[in-house]
Amino acid sequence: MAGLLLSPTEKNFILQGVQDDFRSDGRSNIDYRPMELETDVVSHASGSARLRLANTDILVGVKTEIDTPNPDKPGLGKLEFFVDCSANATPEFEGRGGEQLANSISNMMQRAYHSSQAFDLKQLCIFEGKQCWKLYIDILILECGGNLCDAVSLAVKAALFNTRIPFVKAALMDGGNIDLQLSDDPYDSKLLNVGSAPLLVTLCKIGDKCVVDPSAEEESCSVISLVVGTTGNSKFYCSQEEAKKLPNVESKCSTIGMNGAGSVAPKTLKDAIQQGLEAAKSLDKALGQALLRERQENISFKKHSYGFLK
Amino acid sequence: MTGHVSIRLASERVNHCVATMNEPPRFYTPGEVITGMQDFMRGHGTYTEDDCLKASVAGVMEKVNKLICIRPLKSRYVGEIGDVVVGRVLEVQQRRWKVETNSRLDSVLQLSSVNLPGGELRRRSAEDEQMMRKHLQEGDLISAEVQSVFSDGSLSLHTRSLKYGKLTQGTLVKVYPSLIKRRKNHFHNLPCGVAIIIGNNGYIWISPQNHEGVMEEQKDDDTVDQQSVSRSDRETMARVKNCIAALVASKMMLDDTSIMFAYEESLKYDSVKDLLDPETMLDISFLTQHRINNIMEE
Amino acid sequence: MPATDLLSSQGLRLDGRRPNELRRIRCRLGVFTQPDGSAYLEQGNTKVLAAVYGPHQASKSKLSTEGVVVNCQYSMATFSTGERKNRPRGDRKSQEMSMHLRQALTAAIKTELYPRSQIDIYVEVLQADGGAYCACVNAATLALTEAGVPLRAYVCASSASMAAAGAGSAGPEPLLDVGHVEEAAGGVVLTVAALPTTGHIALLEMSHRLHMDYFDIVLSRAMQGCRDIEVILDRAVRDHLAEGWTKQDVMTI
Repeated sequence: MAGLLLSPTEKNFILQGVQDDFRSDGRSNIDYRPMELETDVVSHASGSARLRLANTDILVGVKTEIDTPNPDKPGLGKLEFFVDCSANATPEFEGRGGEQLANSISNMMQRAYHSSQAFDLKQLCIFEGKQCWKLYIDILILECGGNLCDAVSLAVKAALFNTRIPFVKAALMDGGNIDLQLSDDPYDSKLLNVGSAPLLVTLCKIGDKCVVDPSAEEESCSVISLVVGTTGNSKFYCSQEEAKKLPNVESKCSTIGMNGAGSVAPKTLKDAIQQGLEAAKSLDKALGQALLRERQENISFKKHSYGFLK
Repeated sequence: MTGHVSIRLASERVNHCVATMNEPPRFYTPGEVITGMQDFMRGHGTYTEDDCLKASVAGVMEKVNKLICIRPLKSRYVGEIGDVVVGRVLEVQQRRWKVETNSRLDSVLQLSSVNLPGGELRRRSAEDEQMMRKHLQEGDLISAEVQSVFSDGSLSLHTRSLKYGKLTQGTLVKVYPSLIKRRKNHFHNLPCGVAIIIGNNGYIWISPQNHEGVMEEQKDDDTVDQQSVSRSDRETMARVKNCIAALVASKMMLDDTSIMFAYEESLKYDSVKDLLDPETMLDISFLTQHRINNIMEE
Repeated sequence: MPATDLLSSQGLRLDGRRPNELRRIRCRLGVFTQPDGSAYLEQGNTKVLAAVYGPHQASKSKLSTEGVVVNCQYSMATFSTGERKNRPRGDRKSQEMSMHLRQALTAAIKTELYPRSQIDIYVEVLQADGGAYCACVNAATLALTEAGVPLRAYVCASSASMAAAGAGSAGPEPLLDVGHVEEAAGGVVLTVAALPTTGHIALLEMSHRLHMDYFDIVLSRAMQGCRDIEVILDRAVRDHLAEGWTKQDVMTI
């Protein structure tokens, strides 16, 4: 994406601020800007979420479809990511302008979710070898204010948390073809187990230090950025009693990507990855708390849907 | 060491509207008839049809003797002669620079409208044209004054006074032009130790006080660029930046008094990054509005 | 030929509305900070977002000395329809919709005021439940008003259809604001984009067949819908102004 135009002295100011661990809005190198989350915003989709991170606005919709599984993976379902950069964000995204950015983000997400420890595709299987669920995860980027990857991964995890898969009530075997009957009741559905779904953390190298959650100005100051995908911790996504029953699982790194024209020394790279893992843990915890709070609201009284209206 | 992460829900969203005692004025919306009388002159935001004067934007009416204008809440910057603007150089052309000032068309800064290094007054020669890039490059920020307005609405700027010119160390904040009042002075040295330039076009430049944000002709470029800003200056600048963001979120007018009030109200929050929370922003705007109301009553 | 089952014997439509009833419209201006103007509009279950950039310097290829260049894009999110849509834009339908949007909005914008400038209008359909084009025009009008772009008047769009007589009613009844279920049932759909203040029509489009005898009543029902929508949009604009204006002073000499 074309960076913002900045003068050399402005860039110098930002650079020195980062070296000092004090950015231009007062945050330290590891602080995130305030975020806002809402799930179930699109009623046509099986699951949806909207995340707002300062100026960045992401809307995710999850649609389910019945499909035949891959012949070499008969017991697993499928996930497909699609990213659309809406022209609402910037006139450069008109027509096919945002395609390159969209492709890079969707490839990154596809790689992050590839591992079975990140997302267990077995839960999407209906009949081994014959039928499985395919989830289409559609990401719509409405506004860009820096740090797209993090916001996208948070919104996707929230949307998956919100997704309901209909129960299969009956199946008729008709000469090798399976005819499924799905339950009509929207509440007769199951939720997915997404506790371990990965979160991406973008680290921008500015000068010698790396910053987390770069704003648009900071992104145009850095020559190289690193994206680390870390699996989540299921304990944050269920109540206290259920969390005790779950085994302790260490978070693992599920993908690493680099963007930009610069290069980075191996030690800096290692420190940055470590920083990314730490940041992902705090993100995961905060997201889990927010989603559980929202689910609690749903149970206690009829939730008002705010969407863009408030 | 873990950083600070906060995710709130939509139901916890904060409404940034800060109420005042003033009665809402009479609004006009596009297509609405303002007056049927003939002897009024039409200004911005109006048009005549069927012998009536109608509004073309949504806003309030401004009547100066016989001239009627409708001023919208939010629009691109419309320049007037004498305005102070902060702009970014987009292109270096034959004998001028193209400057972006948040208006409908890009503004121009003619080579003949800048002070030459050395402060001489002479005709611009061919060497001056080639040295243009040394003076101002793409991406540089400048403070300038509007010299004239072309017939199509684009602006011609000049930096002929010593207080205008290239801006060095500091940070830029962009707001709506309609939140900036037209005042006599747009360069302020705030008592807290930062200097701000409030451009009429909505661009506000915050810089540490000693340099006053303007490149002096005698100093060497490199020393100015590499002079580092002290930690306390940086904190004050970040605080001012967040206070401006808080005032903008509640759609309050920006001038040096309101920014200073907001700064003083924000001092009770020790950590500057706490000012990014929506509730804190609303608190600051509310208290600032309260202080402004008290002053207006006196 | 009017479809036979769009109106029940009690005079209620497939979604329970009366023939001259609009779906519930809720809207909000200023949803985003980056564009010059933005708006969100819900018409029943159809949800659209509009963003306006400009007027700003036109790119060299699109420059026009006669007036401002209006550039529109209509895009539907992949999750907006019941069946997932593979491509959000670039197909023929989206391009046709973009052209129609451009025609309807250019009729209202005072283009002669800004030569060499460009206005970009981008519409994103988040959920499509019938009448997406009408909702887009209405949302775009709100976004243009918020951006301070001079308009001759509001542009409102509405659709109307025709139902054969239900048992006990006088004759064929025109239906206002066609929803997805009614569109799919096969009735005629007449879409009108108009400037209700002046009564002029900017765009008129019709699908299926309609007898010329019925054309006038269906058109007047749609125009009535446009006038009703204008009242709602005007109310929303005034509320938005009231929210943002109480802190600013007004000059009157």
